[in-house]
Amino acid sequence: MRQTLSTPRVARLAAHPLFLCGFRPFYLATAAYGVLLLALWSAMLAGALPAPAVPGGAVAWHVHELLYGFAMASVAGFLLTAVPEFTGCASVGRLGLLYLSLLWLAGRVAYWLAGSLGIWPAALLNLAFVAWLAALLAPPVWRDPGRPHLSFLYALAALAAAQAGVFFGTDPMAWLYAATGVMMILMIVAMSRISMRLINGMLEEDGVVDVNYLARPPRRNLAVFSIGLFTMTEFLLPGNSVAGWLALAASAALLNLLNDWHIGRALFNRWIFMLYAVYWLMALGYGLIGLSLLADWALLSAGRHLLLAGAMSLAIFAVMVVAGRIHAGYWLDRRPWVPVAVGLIVTAALARVSASLLPGSLLMALSAGLWIMAFALFLWHLWQPLTHPRPDDADGCAEPVRTQETPANEFAC
Amino acid sequence: MSLLRAWFVGIPAYLWSGWGAMASLCMFLALWDWGAQVYGDLVLPSPVATLHTLLGLLAGVEAWTELAITARRALLGFALSLGVGSALGLLAGLSMTASMMSRPIVTVLVGMPPIAWLVLAMLWFGAADATPIFTVFIACFPIVFVGALQGTRTLDDQLKDVTRVYRLPARMTLTDVYLPHVVSYLFPAWIAALGMSWKIVVMAELLSTADGVGAALAVSRSHLDTAASMAWIAAVVILLLAVEYLVLEPIKREVEGWRALA
Repeated sequence: MRQTLSTPRVARLAAHPLFLCGFRPFYLATAAYGVLLLALWSAMLAGALPAPAVPGGAVAWHVHELLYGFAMASVAGFLLTAVPEFTGCASVGRLGLLYLSLLWLAGRVAYWLAGSLGIWPAALLNLAFVAWLAALLAPPVWRDPGRPHLSFLYALAALAAAQAGVFFGTDPMAWLYAATGVMMILMIVAMSRISMRLINGMLEEDGVVDVNYLARPPRRNLAVFSIGLFTMTEFLLPGNSVAGWLALAASAALLNLLNDWHIGRALFNRWIFMLYAVYWLMALGYGLIGLSLLADWALLSAGRHLLLAGAMSLAIFAVMVVAGRIHAGYWLDRRPWVPVAVGLIVTAALARVSASLLPGSLLMALSAGLWIMAFALFLWHLWQPLTHPRPDDADGCAEPVRTQETPANEFAC
Repeated sequence: MSLLRAWFVGIPAYLWSGWGAMASLCMFLALWDWGAQVYGDLVLPSPVATLHTLLGLLAGVEAWTELAITARRALLGFALSLGVGSALGLLAGLSMTASMMSRPIVTVLVGMPPIAWLVLAMLWFGAADATPIFTVFIACFPIVFVGALQGTRTLDDQLKDVTRVYRLPARMTLTDVYLPHVVSYLFPAWIAALGMSWKIVVMAELLSTADGVGAALAVSRSHLDTAASMAWIAAVVILLLAVEYLVLEPIKREVEGWRALA
């Protein structure tokens, strides 16, 4: 009986434009939850709020929610949009998307209440979310000839394994560091797919004909391999100098990856530079981690923040601001708020590093504030595209339709 | 001029491509570090300890003089083998008979272990400078000789005909047709010989002289000072890498640029 009563209401909710395409609810959730998390965390650090009583402690909560709440939502949004596009298969339906979003939300609530509910509800809901996401993506990825996008599934499996370790392992932080490595690898894999099209499209648009950008697999594989090796070693030998050398190797491999990107003046195009800066932040982060492990510098946490608050946040922002508009039927955003937000994220990451060098709550609060501003700007400007019907009244995730009015050299992702 | 400018503009990109090498070297250092942790500092000092010892050594004057002595010997022997080997190899390559005749001799020279040459050199020259220099020379000579020989032997006969048909001036024939081809064989041989010269000179010094890096290695070994031994080894390897990647490799890329187009 209940089922029949609630179905029309659910169907009405699922008919909202928010559930038109996979990225819409999740990009919105990413930015909104990010702003909320950092605001709460700052308040907790200032002593204005009590820390949540979750197993593993407040720091584990902070890292887990930013990785598995904030970043995981953006990963879900990205994969639910990109995999159907890459493989040419149908996207998840509106109802499925609604339930998946609710499952994500339930996972957040359950973890927040883990202090009183126990860890089981949080673990089940969170792992069910990743499992469902993987189940939605696996058939198209598997059926794709040659299976070029299989690495996304491996990354999801590794993220789920690390999350299970956070919930049930003895040292949640070690598992969260492992998850950080997996997230970095996932970002490199995802960005290589995006950057080829984005950069060459930009070059074409700017009329640059003699430069061609190629994301060369050997360089990317070296970076992925060295990050994987570091992550595994740090997990098995925490605080060991062997991991320090491997972190330096990862840093060098990332700088080596930038060889592909040195394509001259075109690099300073805002969309290209944004992705380029992600690799720099990642390289600096691993460099700082390596030096901290080798020379006993107290900058381990600063290095991790360069990876997460810097590189990961910037990558998430970049992908969301491009795909969040293009797949909602809008052209790329050329307003100045985009570079401003990029600058805010980079400055926030650097301020967080300085906060490790010169302990003081002011720099920490400044860092959090700048970061919040960047994602608040995203919410402000992307609210309309994400929650309203497409301007071209088309359905699904298609790119904006080329009409006579739009310039022919306009670029679509 | 524009070539020179293109070369200078290419320098940052070349240096930046070194990050890939840095990544693999750091992984090697990680493996070394792991070995140090398993076997202890007495057997294998850690990379960081080695680096500290090396910096300590380099802070003094003696280390620099030892390095300078070794570098002088290695480079002298290398230069000798380069000059004599290249000249003789090129000449031998011009004549089929000469190259046929020289092959077995080169085989003997290549097959002769450097340590045997060292023993002979010690008998002939004693503990003087000439011993390591001669050993380096005689060990590097066959490598350079074979490179030069093959360079001239593999010259394309049809290209010779083309130069004749077009009546190319002799200078142009030499610089634009013969030299690029020969150099593309000579250069790898030179680089191989340079790497060889550093290894040989340290070995020769270890056994025959009272100064130089090899002698310093012998002293640190007799003191059971593994950290100092590793530091000296690191110094030699770093110098070799620097010379190869900062001097020889860029030149090699420049002179072999035509291959990508060919």
